[in-house]
Amino acid sequence: MSHDHDHGAHDPIQASEGVSEFEILERAVRELAIEKGLFSEEDHRRFSEWAESIGPSGGSKLVAKAWTDPEFKARLLADGTEACKEVGIDWLDPTGVGTPSDYTYFYVLENTPEVHNVIVCTLCSCYPRPVLGMSPDWYRTPNYRRRLVRWPREVLAEFGLHFGPDVEVRVHDSNQKSRFMVMPMRPEGTEGWTEEQLEAIVTRDTMIGVALPHADWTASGPPSAAKANS
Amino acid sequence: MTGHHRYDVLLDTLGPDSQRETKLPDLERKPDPWESAMQATCECLSWRGTLDNLERRNAEDALGETTYRDFPVHARSVVVTAHELMERGAFTADELRARMDQVRERINRA
Repeated sequence: MSHDHDHGAHDPIQASEGVSEFEILERAVRELAIEKGLFSEEDHRRFSEWAESIGPSGGSKLVAKAWTDPEFKARLLADGTEACKEVGIDWLDPTGVGTPSDYTYFYVLENTPEVHNVIVCTLCSCYPRPVLGMSPDWYRTPNYRRRLVRWPREVLAEFGLHFGPDVEVRVHDSNQKSRFMVMPMRPEGTEGWTEEQLEAIVTRDTMIGVALPHADWTASGPPSAAKANS
Repeated sequence: MTGHHRYDVLLDTLGPDSQRETKLPDLERKPDPWESAMQATCECLSWRGTLDNLERRNAEDALGETTYRDFPVHARSVVVTAHELMERGAFTADELRARMDQVRERINRA
């Protein structure tokens, strides 16, 4: 392998720098578990690779199905964890489309003309990963977490969302035991669409609550080129 | 299962100068890569039937507020998982200490 780049450009990595006893414990536990046959190296690697690659498609499926099936919508709002199984997501089973997260209560929050919901985790970065994948960088920033609960309309305005006084804005603070996801309102111009078409416009940000879905936006390409369902 | 053992091999991972967290977690803190690796380990243990995620979470709550209450919250997962695996006889405390010595030597090798 060619290896001729300039090593003078940066300091050499210090092998032991910053290694805590907890990291050593983690490696030791993992190695012993593998050695004892509790799982394999390949299990661990595959899980890590998969967990880092899932996106918000599970959430998009839930919303699109709820938009087109009132009975499913009722089930989803009543028991999010259980209704997820209908689109192949079992929060307790990482072997299916499953979860890279811990089991928690999962609540779906319905937006209406009078109420807009938005989610945050003020303490850390709790996020409904089985349905939305990894959280965006900004979701984990103190700027978002600290300010959203105090000045939600100001923060939403920075995302381009402006609500009048007739709309109540509800902020939902996630925690170790409860995760939330927003069900946005179905936009105009989508009458007669299939579930697959609808899934495409239910983007990650609309399910966090910092954006509204639009019939002409899918987030699957650059904004300059996107035209949904065309 | 959350036995009442106090495993020195786990308690020793907490430095002598460590103090119990008395305030909310540092908002600026980013999880270390080992914490993601630990999460994958937990998921594999649940997936393969050794330690169910929900049982582990309950154990983290129980032990994290008692036996390991002086540990930082972000370390609860690894400490409690190790505790539970020893309770279940997956490996012994001596095996864990020996493996930690090996890992430490490997990582610190110049």
